[in-house]
Amino acid sequence: MAVSTRWITTKWSLAAGILGLACLLSLAAWAEVNGSWKNGEEVYAKVCGYCHQTGIGPVIKGRKLPPEYTVHVVRNGLRAMPAFPAAFIDDKALREVAGYISKSAAEQKQEAENER
Amino acid sequence: MATNNHNVLPRGIEPSEFLTAVEKFKALLGAENVLTEPSQLAPYMKIMMPVAESEHAPSAALTATTVEQVQGIVKICNEHKIPIWTVSTGRNFGYGTAAPHHRGQVILNLNKMNKIIEVDPVLCTALVEPGVTYQQLVDYLKEKGYKLWVDPPAPSAIASPVGNTLDRGVGYTPYAEHFMFSCGMEVVLANGEVLRTAMGGIPNSNTWQTFKWGYGPYLDGIFTQSNYGIVTKMGFWLMPEPPVFKPFAIKYDKDEDIEDLVEMFRPLSINGIIPNGVVLVGTLWEASPTVRRSDYTTEKGATSKAIIQRIRDEHQIGAWTAYGALYGTQEQVDVNWRIVTDTVKAAGKGIIVTEEEAGDDIAFTYRADLMRGNMTLVEFGLYNWRGGGGSMWFAPVSQAKGSETRKQVELATRILNKHGLDYVGEFIVTQRALHHLIDVLYDRTDPEEMKAAYACFDELLDEFTKHGYGVYRVNPEFMHKVADSFGPTQRAVNKTLKRALDPNNIFAPGKSGIDLES
Ligand SMILES: Cc1cc2nc3c(=O)[nH]c(=O)nc-3n(C[C@H](O)[C@H](O)[C@H](O)COP(=O)(O)OP(=O)(O)OC[C@H]3O[C@@H](n4cnc5c(N)ncnc54)[C@H](O)[C@@H]3O)c2cc1C
Repeated sequence: MAVSTRWITTKWSLAAGILGLACLLSLAAWAEVNGSWKNGEEVYAKVCGYCHQTGIGPVIKGRKLPPEYTVHVVRNGLRAMPAFPAAFIDDKALREVAGYISKSAAEQKQEAENER
Repeated sequence: MATNNHNVLPRGIEPSEFLTAVEKFKALLGAENVLTEPSQLAPYMKIMMPVAESEHAPSAALTATTVEQVQGIVKICNEHKIPIWTVSTGRNFGYGTAAPHHRGQVILNLNKMNKIIEVDPVLCTALVEPGVTYQQLVDYLKEKGYKLWVDPPAPSAIASPVGNTLDRGVGYTPYAEHFMFSCGMEVVLANGEVLRTAMGGIPNSNTWQTFKWGYGPYLDGIFTQSNYGIVTKMGFWLMPEPPVFKPFAIKYDKDEDIEDLVEMFRPLSINGIIPNGVVLVGTLWEASPTVRRSDYTTEKGATSKAIIQRIRDEHQIGAWTAYGALYGTQEQVDVNWRIVTDTVKAAGKGIIVTEEEAGDDIAFTYRADLMRGNMTLVEFGLYNWRGGGGSMWFAPVSQAKGSETRKQVELATRILNKHGLDYVGEFIVTQRALHHLIDVLYDRTDPEEMKAAYACFDELLDEFTKHGYGVYRVNPEFMHKVADSFGPTQRAVNKTLKRALDPNNIFAPGKSGIDLES
């Protein structure tokens, strides 16, 4: 049973998303809720990572993704990616996970496969 | 009305009336738990159905954390005739996500009402609030050191036992039929009263989570796939971790092998040799963690048989792959393993794959995870097949007979292909019946494919109904149609119950086709 995990680059969708941000984003509009998440790393491990660390969604670590972009995609969804409301990932946790992803280093295997 | 989501108002409600209700919601819940601005409601606009988002746009979204708040919401809804669409975690992908039945309902999201009230490690029971996710429960069991398993559906980590069970969802361990393993509910009724079902009616009862039936009519069923109340607590049973867990796959080459497969697995399932929700997975589903349609073709329309064969050959994927598991002591597993392997060998076809042989194969690994209650979202790979985020589950029930399953696969494939879409399906074996799950996947960014998907789903329902088949669950776009397929008498009884329990029609009008106004 051969596995050919492929990492799809989403440069096009990233660019489109970032362009659309200026008019769509108003962080202040979201309710400030004290959620139950410990920190951004936990959100990544218990939500994002299940797809973005397994080849199901594109690699998002190590790409210096602007936090505003991540926040936008999480709240709005993007094609196959579901949207997550503040009731699930509160604003604080979302800012933290967006920061965590933005600052994360690329994992070696991912870096190599992203080149493809 | 600038403060409302795209001016979306509940059916027949004046703007001033709606604003009054919103102010009351804010006073009750705090303004931060009453979302009305388009930017706040954006997450609720993401749908997978083949219609415009605006058709399912909510007027507002509320979050509540206590039973008293839920009662307060119900009171306000009655006063102003505001329809309320309740979700536990709202991750009902392919069955409507969190979207209300139609435009202009207020979503009540109970995600933040997420206390694990009790887990009894001796009796292996749990009592939880609606917002508790499978991930949260698994973390809790680990932290406590309880050797107990949950039974997740494939979106495990982000979905909830309460939401999934209320839509009568399924999983993959021996506790796969979730409603069967639920025990006791607390429900806020439309008149504001709080009902505890079955043994929960007895003051100081300690058997609420251990004996399902109580006394008199069994009421829990009417609160599933319905709109008769808001469930605020649910009990269910947890599976003790077995000493040995042995997952396996068996691969079959030919499309028609599904017939023999079902004949072979039915007795193993009914006799309890294989105790879990065995799945029989078609090629494109099995390929979904690693293969995208665009790897093979960019042409529109149904994928050719030649391409499907290439995928099989290049990725060593069967026409059908059966996944099952054995649970118990080493002796029990050894005996049952012999029965399974002897049965397969006697049939003269099928390649058995054990966990050791599968290694890190991602398809095998995620199936094994689901069969042992681990968290995984690998099945979301299905959405990569065509991309574009369109998905509807077409989920007819089939008798557990080979000839029936083959008939259903052929009928569905013909209709899907006619509309330029693919058969991406599997069967979940629950002894005498099978859930036949077909993911009608399409590109929501392509208007033509949207139209084709709608027409396809409509025809699937028509044709399957003509053949005497019914679906077990459906997305809001088709709830009325499916309710019709179950006949006028069932519809009338459902409406009678609705009139008696919710005369103002405030709870989720349209859910399962139940609505006093249509
Ligand atoms: C790739 C993939 C695989 C999937 N696999 C499975 C699977 O294996 N098994 C399966 O069952 N599903 C599956 N699904 C479908 C769905 O995602 C799950 O069933 C999920 O558990 C439902 O979402 P939820 O748990 O958040 O429930 P919710 O969305 O919260 O609830 C579902 C419905 O129940 C009712 N409801 C919820 N809470 C309440 C309440 N408190 N009071 C009254 N009514 C309420 C509402 O009508 C609501 O729409 C899959 C989806 C995807 C995308």
